[in-house]
Amino acid sequence: MSLLLVGLSHRTAPVEVRERLYFPDSRLQEALQRLTSQSAIAESLILSTCNRTEVLAHSADARRGLVLVRSFLSDFHSQPEESLHPYLYDLTHSEVVRHVFRVASSLDSMVLGEPQILGQFKTAFNLARRIGSVGDALSPLIHRAFFVAKRVRSETAISSAAVSVSFAAVELARKIFDHLGGRTVLLLGAGKMSELAARHLISQGTTRLLVWNRTYRRAVEMAEDLNGEAIPPEELFRHVERADILICSTGSPGFILTRSDGQRLIRLRKNRPVFIIDIAVPRDVDPEVNSLDNIFLYDIDDLQHVVDANLKQRRREAQFAEAIVQEEVQSFVKQARGLDVAPAIVSLRKHWEAIRREELARSRKKLGSLNEQQEAALDQLTRGLLNKILHGPISEIKSLGQDPAAERKIAAIKKMLGLKP
Amino acid sequence: MSLLLLRLTIAFYSVGLLHSFLTIITRKKTLFRVALASISVGFLCHLLAISVAWFETRHPPISELQEVLSFFALVIVLAFLVAYARYRLDSLSVFVFPLAFILTLAANLTSEPSQPFPEMLGSLWLYLHVPFIFLAYAAFFVAFASGLMYLIQENELKRRRPQAFYYRLPSLEVCDELGYRALSIGFPLLTLGLVAGVFWQAPWELDKKVIASFSTWIVYAVLIAYRLSEGLRGRRAAWMSILGFILILATFFGIRSQGSAHPFIQ
Repeated sequence: MSLLLVGLSHRTAPVEVRERLYFPDSRLQEALQRLTSQSAIAESLILSTCNRTEVLAHSADARRGLVLVRSFLSDFHSQPEESLHPYLYDLTHSEVVRHVFRVASSLDSMVLGEPQILGQFKTAFNLARRIGSVGDALSPLIHRAFFVAKRVRSETAISSAAVSVSFAAVELARKIFDHLGGRTVLLLGAGKMSELAARHLISQGTTRLLVWNRTYRRAVEMAEDLNGEAIPPEELFRHVERADILICSTGSPGFILTRSDGQRLIRLRKNRPVFIIDIAVPRDVDPEVNSLDNIFLYDIDDLQHVVDANLKQRRREAQFAEAIVQEEVQSFVKQARGLDVAPAIVSLRKHWEAIRREELARSRKKLGSLNEQQEAALDQLTRGLLNKILHGPISEIKSLGQDPAAERKIAAIKKMLGLKP
Repeated sequence: MSLLLLRLTIAFYSVGLLHSFLTIITRKKTLFRVALASISVGFLCHLLAISVAWFETRHPPISELQEVLSFFALVIVLAFLVAYARYRLDSLSVFVFPLAFILTLAANLTSEPSQPFPEMLGSLWLYLHVPFIFLAYAAFFVAFASGLMYLIQENELKRRRPQAFYYRLPSLEVCDELGYRALSIGFPLLTLGLVAGVFWQAPWELDKKVIASFSTWIVYAVLIAYRLSEGLRGRRAAWMSILGFILILATFFGIRSQGSAHPFIQ
């Protein structure tokens, strides 16, 4: 019995192809049942997300299993098999183990280290287990994959740095203010973008929100929406010093905050730091403001640079994660292979050979005298009979070498054949 | 006995040193829990070593250079443990652990048979002067280290192209607050230490070391006063904490005492 995997992902296939092989939740059960109804496929699991569709299976014969899964994919989605050929990859044995560990640890994800994949994997596993398409053969592998993913998450910083602009802004705010609780956010300009940013900051813990807009009515509307406080247009300078975080997105053609404004602001705030996010184009804040102590100014490009740096950081961490995966694959494969099946076969043969001789000797007396030819024929007959009977169980035991549940299965076979396990 | 304990302490502190090295090289927190445990045990061992030395020599072990170095290492580790308990600031360990190791090692290397205790030093004021001064030094070292971390982190944030430090160092807020707390603990201690020194030395010997000590006091006094009145904080406060500590090092190691009151530096 062996592990196999057929699939495609964002690495091998464009979205036009990926969507053709997508399994909606509503059809997953049917798909799994069809797969495992084939005698060559003992167990199977389907992981289908927007970035990948993969069929993990356990089969008596890896090569035959791969062919079956491929034709299943094309039949189920009514796609000609040749059209899928360039995008699909086949993996067997320890390649499968490595791949499954990497996918669960988000090392194969489009956004390296994104945490959703583990959840999707768990959902897929729970469904497969519920309908019984996953059993003793695949479960240990998948449980181990979850364990590896957890290890990667806790031992590396692969998921820690923000990889979207809005999360990067929150993270920067944390690097300045440590915690966002009790901080005040001021929106200069009540646009869609600033609303999004504000919602994000509020969900991360900032407690006060001020909204200012050239048209007061719009400011009031948004303040009501976000449970904030609208500031009348002419009173901006009385309130601006209250803001720890300033999000600028006005449509003003020139700078609305110049260097000298910045100096005044920081004096009014008694040097308490301000984080200014300028998402307006053209920019609202003179870039020179960043040179002032205790003011940290980021425009939309700067935030993108931070995201890029964070991605680079994740790639660095991914190297540590790959090392962990490597280590885990080795130990898993060794454990699975570690079971030597030879002693079981030898003891089985010995046991039955002894019975054969015993029985032969007992019956021999009743048969009287026989010539040499007859003696040989009798011996051959019993031997042949025994070999025929034992052939099935022995080849089954031989194939169990890589089965994670081999030990138990071999014990069962031995028991059935009259041996103490 | 005390020497043996001191060597044991060095062994424990060396785990901390290893942690700092690995953390700097691999750019990720390595071995921190092990190092923290080892440093904590080392601290207790160190405390015991100094107590035993006190018992053996029958005077507080703070009169000779190696004794002073060892004591300084002890209070710096104490300062770290307190700061860690309060702020969970593991980044500080990268500064503190190697320093504690080097100071203790130096104390051990220069160790020589205890000389007879100078008659004039024996005074209640000395027992107050030296511990206060070194506790203050340890606090100022924490202020120095947080100032350094502040400047590095601030530079990362201002450049807007984060590199390794951005991810590893604590936030500006924490660096700044820790620096300020350390100052507000260190300054009263320094003041008490200097006052005790004045009483101990009376009548006054106005040597360079004494003058340098008072200059240091003035720097820290100005820093704290500015901070309270004008809200001086951030980059400038960090720079002043660093300069203050450099002045302390200069006072301690650089300026030779002409009088007989600070024999360990002659």
